[in-house]
Amino acid sequence: MSDDDRTLEARLRGMWEATDPAPADLAERALFVLELAGLETELLRMQEVELAGARGEETARTVTFESEHVAVMVTLSGPPGRARRLDGWISPAAALDVEARTPAASARTTADAGGRFSFPSLGPALVQLVLHPTGGAAVDLTRPVVTPAIQI
Amino acid sequence: MMTTETGGPPPRSRFADGAAADFLDWRAGDADALGRLVRRVTPTLWHVARAYGLSREAAEDVVQSSWVTLARAADTVREPQAIVSWLCVTTRREAARVVRRTRLEDSTEPAVLAEQGPPAADLADAVLADDEAAALWRRVDQLPPRCRQLLRIVAFEDRPDYRSISAELSMPVGSIGPTRRRCLDKLRELLADDTHRSDR
Repeated sequence: MSDDDRTLEARLRGMWEATDPAPADLAERALFVLELAGLETELLRMQEVELAGARGEETARTVTFESEHVAVMVTLSGPPGRARRLDGWISPAAALDVEARTPAASARTTADAGGRFSFPSLGPALVQLVLHPTGGAAVDLTRPVVTPAIQI
Repeated sequence: MMTTETGGPPPRSRFADGAAADFLDWRAGDADALGRLVRRVTPTLWHVARAYGLSREAAEDVVQSSWVTLARAADTVREPQAIVSWLCVTTRREAARVVRRTRLEDSTEPAVLAEQGPPAADLADAVLADDEAAALWRRVDQLPPRCRQLLRIVAFEDRPDYRSISAELSMPVGSIGPTRRRCLDKLRELLADDTHRSDR
């Protein structure tokens, strides 16, 4: 590598920092998720995202998260930047306790036997879903299962 | 090679040293050091993840999972001095995994893969803010995808580990250095065209 090469790579770094910067809140989101990482939890990974009506005011967004033992499909509806409705579907179907964790507070609910749950009004905030081991549920979790933090 | 390795310390070394200090402080029990480490290195991991053509959402997810991986494996990191490298390799591995899986399922899934880099609409603000960046971006966009990917990785990694890059990009280890230089030369040619045009 010559000095010229290094100089050009430094210019490239500046270019990518200017044209495609990391989201301003990404580090805070990671730290929010790390608060639970010390506990024994299982991390769900995002599998796919579907956008519907992305150009309109009423944007619906469906995100699927998966881990070894369980998957959860989450649909957000309502105008971005305001409180939104979150509908979730746990697969395989199980009546698990679900927590919607935000930096300020947590909301809790229990899924029905079909694995469906909802939070009628969330955010706007950073939100992380936590599926808790629940006695009698069809899926026997040994530890909490968590999603990455998403901005609602 | 003994030539051309002069010209002062590599510009990114202070960055890597700072991250190593944060990591050691955190492992020694200073809880705030984790915040410093995450804020310092997250932008770099972002660019490494985006080099793989991941959408913004998928890249955000990959970066978060890299940090979770570190939190769980912190005690097993054998070279704390190389923590940035460790994090970059972890991020590349996860990004490559997401790309592979997405290609297997549906090669055109737009929500996960965004091969073309930032969409033109996103670039519009940057064009106004920074002409030089916009000109460079347009030229980089004309490079073969593999060049774009490799250049973005090596631009952000302090001392890129060619072995793991080779596995992820399916390129022989020995060809990465020469390819990196060829890509830079190609880019220089494209940029020279711009200069000639503006000289006229």
